Amino acid sequence: MTASKNPSRSTIISLLVGAVFVVLLGWRIASLENYTFARIIQDFLNALTLGSLYALIALGYTMVYGIIRLINFAHGEIFMLGAYFAFYAMTLTPLNWAVSLLITIILGGAVMLVLRSLFNLEEPKRTFVLALLIFAGTFFLLTFRKLGWIEALALSMLATGTAGVLLEAIAYRPLRGAPRESMLITAIAASFFLQNLGQLLFGARVRGFNAETVLNKPLSFHIGQETVYFTGILVVVPLVTAVLLWVLNLFVSKTKLGKAMRATAQDAEVAQMMGVNVNQVIALTFFIGSIMAAAAGVMYAIRFGQIHPLMGLMPGIKAFTAAVIGGIGSLPGAVLGGLLLGFIEIYVVSLFPTLSAYRDVFAFVLLILILLFRPSGLVGEDLTEKV
Amino acid sequence: MRNNLLTLASVGLAALAIYLLTTHEGTSGLLSALTLIFIWGIAAVSLNLINGQLGILSLGHHGFMLIGGYVTALLMLPAKERRPFRTRLLSDWARDHLDLDKWLRGLGLDAIANSIDLKFIIALFIAGLAAALLGLLVGAPSLRLKGDYLAIVTFGMGEILRLLPNTKEVAAFTNGPLGIKGIPGNAGNIWWTFFALLFVLWFFSRLKFSSYGRAFEGIREDEIAAEAMGVNLAYHKILAFTISAFFAGVSGGLYASYLHSVDTQTFNFFVTFFLLVAISLGGLGSITGAMLGTAIVVLVRVYGGFLEQPYPAWVGYLSGAVVMLSAFAFSVYIRKARRLRPVIETKHYIFGGLGLALLLVAALFHNQPWMTQTVQFFGMRKMLLAVILILIMIYRREGIMGRAEFSWKLIFGPREDIPTDEQRKQDAWLSNPELNPGLKEGGDDDASA
Repeated sequence: MTASKNPSRSTIISLLVGAVFVVLLGWRIASLENYTFARIIQDFLNALTLGSLYALIALGYTMVYGIIRLINFAHGEIFMLGAYFAFYAMTLTPLNWAVSLLITIILGGAVMLVLRSLFNLEEPKRTFVLALLIFAGTFFLLTFRKLGWIEALALSMLATGTAGVLLEAIAYRPLRGAPRESMLITAIAASFFLQNLGQLLFGARVRGFNAETVLNKPLSFHIGQETVYFTGILVVVPLVTAVLLWVLNLFVSKTKLGKAMRATAQDAEVAQMMGVNVNQVIALTFFIGSIMAAAAGVMYAIRFGQIHPLMGLMPGIKAFTAAVIGGIGSLPGAVLGGLLLGFIEIYVVSLFPTLSAYRDVFAFVLLILILLFRPSGLVGEDLTEKV
Repeated sequence: MRNNLLTLASVGLAALAIYLLTTHEGTSGLLSALTLIFIWGIAAVSLNLINGQLGILSLGHHGFMLIGGYVTALLMLPAKERRPFRTRLLSDWARDHLDLDKWLRGLGLDAIANSIDLKFIIALFIAGLAAALLGLLVGAPSLRLKGDYLAIVTFGMGEILRLLPNTKEVAAFTNGPLGIKGIPGNAGNIWWTFFALLFVLWFFSRLKFSSYGRAFEGIREDEIAAEAMGVNLAYHKILAFTISAFFAGVSGGLYASYLHSVDTQTFNFFVTFFLLVAISLGGLGSITGAMLGTAIVVLVRVYGGFLEQPYPAWVGYLSGAVVMLSAFAFSVYIRKARRLRPVIETKHYIFGGLGLALLLVAALFHNQPWMTQTVQFFGMRKMLLAVILILIMIYRREGIMGRAEFSWKLIFGPREDIPTDEQRKQDAWLSNPELNPGLKEGGDDDASA
């Protein structure tokens, strides 16, 4: 309460920095001759899209960090897997029924195993119906026709979520209670493993991701004399992001599992004493984070039209930066940070074309500055180690 | 005295072995593997100072190595490589002025300038200094962070250093993505790296058992306790960081010289990862362990090429099956030995089942076209390293050596774990209440309390 009455020094400083930033931006826009209103709008759309994608990925980082204090380096690779799963779902379907059956059994089995461990599926009847739905749905989707991007997105989200849970179970769960540095090293190793596995399984070359949807059709509208060009994806990405965020927010704030999640994030030990199945909650966190990453991966692939096994590297790091900017561990912070980073990246490149080579450097500089001077981020609580 | 003689003798033996290797035909593969072990060993030992002895996870070592590599490359670039058409992005100023040869001749030290080996020593030293300066600049503000935040900051610094040489402004010194080629390879040969490594090992083992080394280990164990004992935290952390950066720069210079070229892809994050695997495998905090780990990891990298040869696809299925089944057998064996129940868990069934399924597929479809086609498993070595690292982190976090060091005492010295007769007598005396009245009183105190 006192904080709102007497804003702390750091708040004032950040407000001042922000104000100086805005003034500088305005001055720069005014001084650029060909920077018209239409271009501002165009950049705005681009920035919003990029920012939403970063926000989606950043959610995975921030949720996992919030719960087990692990920087999941492999999250960018989960994002890559999401894009590849959707790519294969779209290009290889319709499958031969035998192959489809095999994939259905493997994928459905894995998904059911994961779902069973994530949610308390005690009633056999409901579990059976769910299993039937998943198996039949997967089989039906894979066998009969070429998938559109929405079905591919759904399938990819399921498969990637499963992959995320498997990653947690195989690499991170045995390290519960280990020093945090060990967990971080393991995460780095997992990231390298998945990158190289991706190169091995999917081939190292860049592949075109041609989602033949209305989303890729060039559209335009006029503002005065100017024309703004855009594609459907630029509008869809923020919308999908907003919907996913809304669902996630409902889940975390309204459901029992969401409550368990918040409890675990606050204090895992006490939560366990209160009867929360901590392992289950952590696996669920990975599941949700991976689902978001898969959605981001598919939309990123549609937006930029190509995928390759190392595509997760830079977006992953930038999303991590976004999570840190917002305050790692905080969900609204991740979204805020993602949008902010998207806007900074697009507008810096647009307003200062000479700096475009420094685009990736900026993310790191920002990351370091935030960590050095305000490790709690914009809205996050202070999570630095206390003794 | 005896120990020093033994050390000298073994160094002499190693030198003799290397000499014999260099004079024989057909040993170039082994020699380059040894050279790589020496170069990476220097880097690993220096990373070990921060990650193992100081207990701070640093992920920016490739940045320091890159600085060392570029500085050495620029200073040592011979005159014929400084022609404009070969070095397009390099600015004229850098090309004309950043020349160690010119500097030395300017100072009137023609004797040194004429010897390329002496020049290399100076260049490596300057490279180390540049990296150390950077380490100081990077370390001073960031070392007040702790744990994974610090790891991320160092990672960010390393990545910035990797990205900067490609940008237009910095490319004036680094030649951008083209990199600098044509560096003389003297420093990258086996003798240079051997003696450099000897010096580094001597330096770091002296450091480890000095007051500084003990202060570092105190900081690792408990910062607050160390501070209470009078250890200046910031000073020691920055000191360790700077020393580590210095030797990382030297090893970067040696590596650039070994490759005869340097560009931004030479020192990417994989370098740090590679070193991390090496020191974790050997045992964080142990210099012996760092060398051992480096040797293993480099050998995997150099001689693991057979993993990435083209094979028919069924080899892949078969080896996958073998790996899965042996993992199954191994974990069951471990669980049996540790008397864990149930002996076979669900996940083990899944593993074993997958292995059997792969075996079955390989057997059933052995003459299908997709089974006999040739495939090549690129990246197997990196995957192997990653798996090794994960397994170490899960099952044996102390690595091979733990924190122990190799010493002659370990081999020839008296066994310290078996009490001598004198110690036994003392123990008997101490535990005999009739001879040792103190024991009785202690017992009374316990009873009354």
